This record gives sequence, structure tokens and C-alpha cells, in this order.
Amino acid sequence: MISEPGALEELPRLGLGLGLRSTHFDHILDHWPDVEWFEAISENFMDSGGRPRYVLDQVAERYPIVLHGVSLSIGSTDPLDRDYLAKLKRLAASVNPAWVSDHLCWTGVLGTNSHDLLPIPLTSETLGHVAARVMQVQEFLERPLILENPSTYVTFVDSTIDEPEFLGALSEQTGCGLLLDVNNVYVSCFNADLDPVSYLDSFPCDRVVQMHLAGHDHRGNHIIDTHDRPVVPAVWELYRLAWHRTGGAATLLEWDGNIPDFEECHTELLKARSFMGNHSEEGRAPSGVNQGSGPESLSTPVDFLVPDVMESAVLE
Amino acid sequence: MTDTPSGLRDLQAWMQTQVMNPTRFGDDDVGRIVRPSSRLDSVQRLAIYQRAYLTRLLKCMSDQFPALRHALGDELFDDFAMDYLTEYPSMSYTLFELGARLPRYLDEHRPDRDRAGGRREPWIDFMIDLARFERQLFVLFDAHGHEGKPFATPETPTGRMVLQPCFALGSYRFPVATYYHDVRLAKNPGLPPAQPSHVALVRRDYLTHTYRITGSQHAFLSILTGGLSVAEGLQSFAHEIGRSPGDVHDEWESPESAGQSWIAAGFFVDSANHP
Repeated sequence: MISEPGALEELPRLGLGLGLRSTHFDHILDHWPDVEWFEAISENFMDSGGRPRYVLDQVAERYPIVLHGVSLSIGSTDPLDRDYLAKLKRLAASVNPAWVSDHLCWTGVLGTNSHDLLPIPLTSETLGHVAARVMQVQEFLERPLILENPSTYVTFVDSTIDEPEFLGALSEQTGCGLLLDVNNVYVSCFNADLDPVSYLDSFPCDRVVQMHLAGHDHRGNHIIDTHDRPVVPAVWELYRLAWHRTGGAATLLEWDGNIPDFEECHTELLKARSFMGNHSEEGRAPSGVNQGSGPESLSTPVDFLVPDVMESAVLE
Repeated sequence: MTDTPSGLRDLQAWMQTQVMNPTRFGDDDVGRIVRPSSRLDSVQRLAIYQRAYLTRLLKCMSDQFPALRHALGDELFDDFAMDYLTEYPSMSYTLFELGARLPRYLDEHRPDRDRAGGRREPWIDFMIDLARFERQLFVLFDAHGHEGKPFATPETPTGRMVLQPCFALGSYRFPVATYYHDVRLAKNPGLPPAQPSHVALVRRDYLTHTYRITGSQHAFLSILTGGLSVAEGLQSFAHEIGRSPGDVHDEWESPESAGQSWIAAGFFVDSANHP
């Protein structure tokens, strides 16, 4: 299925949202904070019969929801997981998300899941492979898929297509939408000796329905996408450009490690308002190096996906 | 359906091996596949993924087995978990399944496996039982339950009273439930002496309650886990222990019986309302 012409344009402008994290569940249920929307990690809820699913249902009654996946593995050479897709479709039918997203990546092959978002070589061959799978997924889900540019630490000798061009062609061939992770642009470009503004210059911003913001760990000779600290100034400046070029796409702050209380996350998110005007097409993103000290932080943290079961255990 | 590119398939199999299996790291192929950056060579760039893989999943294992980690100590837990992840890498889209096979792995790899039962190391039995208990709690945490619906009451006929869906039983060689909750309360418990223990686990209001029960209570509740009603279970249990069904039923109806406290604790639902 190539999504209908105009399908992406019909998706709502959601404004500023936060990732729905279990550590914030109590705060959200107690206060119903003034957040415009939430993004839920699909895998955390598609099998849930416990409190996570209860909370998601409550939240979905009051806020727009987006489902964001980490295990679709659209770039893998393993067959698509039909059981996973069926559960994702059921969850989407139940919570009625504004859209369903995942990453341009693969998470494993030969039946194994690394639980990392691994990059693919960007070639005409892999473009055809991914495009065919996106079409199958869209056909199955009966909705356009939204795909995110991943944070990457390697580039492949065999790659022949730049990532913005690859995503643009993929979107054009399949009708899928794009999730522009602005922090990932900064991280991946630094790690690959590319200029992030030039990356944005060639990015198909008209296909972007959502953006991500997050913090990272600058190690001097590489940057790790950690989601465990505030957004750095250079990424905010890049966001200023991206917000303008995407026409104000829905924006979400991801904070997945060392997660502070809800108010601190929300305050960080609302900084985005300061970067929604006064764009400068001439300006280049500042280097903004806040070099990390201490041990290297973890890329793509996933332990926030594991619930604190001990907290809810009672001995009678 | 398009053909899967063989070059991509080979590359992904190669990269997955490199990322998941550190002993293979340093392969000369890296430079032919991964482009160096101005700051890092090919091997250094790939190493970012390799470092993150184990760190990421070890953290998840720790979060799923906090009491076992306390019992083994950080270093030994990480050693066990790393070996486990090497032998049983994740095969699921969800991290909830990551630790599912750990109890089995610990049993399969116990160093005294070839010894007769009575000559095995008790502390290993304890670790295996503790892992089983933690896994069971983890499963119940997010299982489909009965919240938001009415539970059985003392007035519900025993012929319609069945176990609620979010219920499990456990039998262990050590008092693992007590140990687990002592860890939860930061009491820094030591290895307890061997002592058979039985528990019933039930989730109510999204809290997972552990009830310490006797061996005969465990035997009775085990009958009910097959789907029988309490009335049917009492009949079967009376037959099993050679007592009159009437006496067993009368004991159940006694206000002081464990059965009445289980009803109050939300062990049961009315099958007429929830077929």
C-alpha cells in the first residue's frame, strides 16, 4: 500500500509532547499535566495486561497518543514478524494513535534481537528491500508508517546514498512519513564527519510529521545518543532550523536514562518554544561541545522499558 | 515479495556476530566493511555497538532479577548474565522475555550438575529457586488480570468460585519470598538455610501479593489451577487425602479457614460473571 496522496498532510500538528515513562505514571494519573501529547513505546504495551496498559488507556482517553516502536526491524533480512505486527495493529486499534512510528534500522537476524537500533548500508539494493517491507507493513497496518533517522556510530564502505536522500526516496516510493530526530542528526553527523546543517538542507522536510529531541554524551572523538540529560545548545539551534523547515512538526522530548521528575522533563520540553521563531537560514549550528567526563554512557538505553516489579510486590 | 539481498543478509549476520560476540572482535573484515571516521578507526567505531550491547542487556537483567543480583553480588551476577545472554540471546521483540530462560540456564549449568541430588551445593539450589520466584513475579506484574471487575465474595457459591486469572503457585527449597522482600526492604539478607516453602501469588489493584502457604494448601490450590471450581477442588482434594468431602467442605466454610481469607484477598472470581 502506498499511502493515499495527502495522507501525511492530514496528520495532526500535535505540538509539544513527552515520552510516556513508567516512572511518571503516578504523577500523570494524579495531576493530568498540561502536556499536548504523549508518545508510548509500542512494545511496552502490546502484551500488557497489567498496570502499564491500564495507564496507557487512561492517558489515551485524555491526550493524543503516538505509538513508537523499537522492534519492527524494518531493515532486517529476517522475515517480518507477523505476530508482532498483529499485536501492534490490535494495540493501535485500541488506543487510536495519531500515527505509528519506528526506525530505519534492523535489530537482529537469524531470529535474534540485539535490542539495538543497528544501521543498514544505504544503497539502491537496500532501498528496494526496505521499501518493499514498508509497503507490506503499511498494507498490514492499514496506515502510513512513520520512520525515524537512527543515531549511528558506523557508516559502511558499501553505502552509496546519503541518509536524507535514502529517506526521501523511501518516502516517495512508499508514501511513508518521516520522524526527524534532531539529536540523531547531530550525533550521526558528528560520528560520520558530516555537517548537520547540510544534512538538514537535503532532508525531505516536507515528509516530516514528527521530530525528536534528546540529550547526548559527547566523548570527544564520538557522540553517544544517550537520552539521559538535557538537550545541548547545538541541538536546540538545529531544532530551530528543523522546526521552521518542517512547518512546525509535532515535537517530542525523549528522556530514557537518569529520568528526572515529570516537571523537570516538561520544563526541558517547553524550552522548544524558544526555538520556534527567529530562524536564521544563514546560521550554522554551533559546535556546542559539552564533553562528557567519567565512563561512557549507554547508547539507546532500554532498561527504562523494564518495569520496577519489586516496587509493586507485597509480602502478606 | 522481493528477493532478500544476499549481501545485506551476509552483512547483518556478520555484524550481529561482531556486536554480540566480543571474542570475535578485531576481525580483519571490519576495515573492509566499516568506514573509518576522522577520529576513530573502523574497529573503534564498531566497538561502540559492541560495548553497548552487553551493558544494555545486563542492566535489563539486573532490573528483572534484583534479588538474585543481591544474592550473587554484582560481579558474579554479571558473569552469569553474560554467559546466559551468550547462550540464550533474546529471540523476542520484547525485553519482558529476556530473563525467561535464566532459571533453566542456571540449572543446566550448575557446576555440580553431575553429582547426586543430596551432594549438590545448596547455595546453587537457592539461586535457581530465587530466579524462578523473581521470574514468576515479573510475569504476574504485567499478566492479564482482574482489576476493575468484581471478585468472588463469601456469598458466591463454591460451585462457581474459580481462581482469578492473575494467580500463580510456587514451591521452593528455600524461603525465597522472605529473602526477596528482605532485599526489597534493604535488609541486606544473607543466604538463608534450606527450608521448603510454598507461596501463592495473586495480583490485586496492580500490586502482586505473596502469600506463604502450607504444603497441603499448595496441593489444594494446585488442583484449582486446572480450572476446577472450589467445590470440585474440595471434592477432589478430600478424595486425595482420604477424608470425607463433607468434612473438608465444612472446614472451608469455617470463618477462620484459610479459604475465607483467600476469598477476601481476591484469589477467586465468580465463573458465572466471567465465563
